[in-house]
Amino acid sequence: MQFSYDSSNLSSIRMGTGDLAKYPFLNEAGEYLRESGFGWEELERPDMKDVIDRAAERVELEVGGSVYEKLDRYEIEILTFLVSLIMVKSISLEPVLKKFALAEARRAEKFLTEDLRRQSETQRRSLFAKIFDDLFKLKIDVAQDGRLFKVSVADYLSRSSHFHEQEWKLINRLVDRGHVYLDADETVRLVRNELSVLIYDKIKAMTLPTLPQSIKARADELRSKLAPRYEYRATAVTDYPPCVKHALEVMGKGENLPHSARVMLATFMLAIGKPVDEIVMMYENAPDFNEKITRYQVEHLAGMKGSHTKYSVPSCDKLRNENLCFATAECDGIINPMQFGRRRK
Amino acid sequence: MTESAIAKTATIVRSAFRGYYFKPGMIETPEKIEQREFGYMQFGQPGMARHLSFKSMKELTATVMKEVPSDIYCSNAYYRFPTYPMQKKQWLGADLIFDIDGKDLHLPCVSSHTYPVCAACGHASSPGESKEYSCQACGGKKAENVSIPCGKCIDGSKKEVKRLVEFLTGDLGMELGNIHVYFSGNNGFHIHVSDGAYVPLDPQARSDLVGYLAGSGLMAESVGVRKGSAENLFFIKFPKSGLAYGWRGRVADKLKIDGSSIIKLRHIVEQKGGYTPFKVDLDRMVRDMGVRIDPQVTTDVHRVFRMSGSLNSKSGLAKMKCGELDSFDPFVDACLLGDSKVSVRVKTPVKLKLKSKSFNISKESAELPAYAAVYLICKGLAEAS
Repeated sequence: MQFSYDSSNLSSIRMGTGDLAKYPFLNEAGEYLRESGFGWEELERPDMKDVIDRAAERVELEVGGSVYEKLDRYEIEILTFLVSLIMVKSISLEPVLKKFALAEARRAEKFLTEDLRRQSETQRRSLFAKIFDDLFKLKIDVAQDGRLFKVSVADYLSRSSHFHEQEWKLINRLVDRGHVYLDADETVRLVRNELSVLIYDKIKAMTLPTLPQSIKARADELRSKLAPRYEYRATAVTDYPPCVKHALEVMGKGENLPHSARVMLATFMLAIGKPVDEIVMMYENAPDFNEKITRYQVEHLAGMKGSHTKYSVPSCDKLRNENLCFATAECDGIINPMQFGRRRK
Repeated sequence: MTESAIAKTATIVRSAFRGYYFKPGMIETPEKIEQREFGYMQFGQPGMARHLSFKSMKELTATVMKEVPSDIYCSNAYYRFPTYPMQKKQWLGADLIFDIDGKDLHLPCVSSHTYPVCAACGHASSPGESKEYSCQACGGKKAENVSIPCGKCIDGSKKEVKRLVEFLTGDLGMELGNIHVYFSGNNGFHIHVSDGAYVPLDPQARSDLVGYLAGSGLMAESVGVRKGSAENLFFIKFPKSGLAYGWRGRVADKLKIDGSSIIKLRHIVEQKGGYTPFKVDLDRMVRDMGVRIDPQVTTDVHRVFRMSGSLNSKSGLAKMKCGELDSFDPFVDACLLGDSKVSVRVKTPVKLKLKSKSFNISKESAELPAYAAVYLICKGLAEAS
């Protein structure tokens, strides 16, 4: 195994070990390890036990949903990050990998936010260049007041539209002349997902040789502890969400339901496992009902016809935009009608 | 209508379309033509020929002259393999397009120029008849409502276009030169944006943009009204980034508040009756200030759009780029068919104005210039005599 990271796209500014401990996913962290003469065999040394302990702690904590916050010894933390990557790779459970990558992103996010708030103009610029621009092609500028940051609307949208909280919708942002104005934590939150994907991809791309016993044993131990958490959990649908109820009511009255609402109704019913025959008959009262056409369309949505793509239930966002959302208090926090009334057993 | 009458009617329209397409340079050349998917429909045939690709306008024009399609479309998307099935095309991006359709504006004039045409027999009746449709000829219960848009309809759509352009150039900082306004060829406008930054955006991002433009989903919190601990309780706390621009600025102007008017805003919310009624009012206010665009059109990144310079078989008018929007008159500027005389049977008395000429047709058989005859045939209000 080699600790080589591609360093082609890094700017010329060198980062201190403190920065590398905060942002160990940067290519420079790998370079730093290589330059300090660190090799694979070092991990077998008895004094590496502390690093391995810290790495195991880091993985367990982060998979549990917390963020590993230690940053007391820079070199040790750079190594700890590396060993924790190896452990996650060795555990080889998809949810563990995802949770770890997300928590690592949140760890970096915390440091980034602090740095953006506290550091000088030059230091902030170097962070923008190294992290936002080099890694994620996101151009950030400091707004005139020196307190807010601004990104272009298109850059903002391509990231924020995957966040589900209402406050991230463009309409709830301060927008002017093609720019969205954000404070430090919002700016950093914008790249959390990309940070996590970056770490996820790094781990995915790793190939592990035979692991030193010291790491292997800890990784196996973690695996048997974590695996039972990810066994299949059944869910139960208790009631139809209000948008579906509304569509059924309109249909029941024999009134005309817009095409998009019909698609929502059919995809929802398909998703909860209703048979096609039953779904087709739900449209019986429609003023323009034609069984043959309806059947074809429902089968098409089910992926049985045409492109064989199975259509998913439209998101709450989409329904809101099409005026098909009739949210009640019980909808609180859901992002797709399928989540309505679902409780973990 | 007898089969021979149907065929004769189609021939009138098709030959007028052929005359149009034989003139050179009618269809506007799309950018990166080789990465686009094309499609067309043919007279009297259901469905669309899709997943076509043309390397050049010469190739496209040759097909158009050979087939004389009723409608010609081109994708807003760029694909690596435009002719492959949808899943294998390899989507590379798509132009940002907005659709403003007169029929979505629900203008009061519409009922006075909407003609019910029976879905079963094609019988047309005069506007403004009873809501429960029953065909006088065959007793059919289903009708298609055909609208002959009037000047007010077009002005209504133009007003929305202007509002949209204001949003795009103001809030979104787009260059006016990157915004291209087209008459759709029937009763609305298509606005194409040629700004590379928006090309990679996925449907979700476009949907968020639509929400912004349409004024949907503004939280009361964004303008400083926050939900309290109990039903309808609230408190005022302005967002850190202020109320100066965008929607926040728009609402602040309307409510005559700024980032320091805590007491005034509290008073406004109290007058409305608390958090929830304020929110309901805010939703309505923001929707009213937003632009009425069709959300489906903008969020669909695999759609094919009518090509600029091609004819719309719902009217026989052309989809056309508008130079000056104010002075653009679709019934003159997009009415480009010839004026050779054609005899038609007009199904119901109808009034219309094309190429600055008013037609008030009350008799069944009429001899009309081709552009007017085709317009009425496309609307389903006339047929070959």
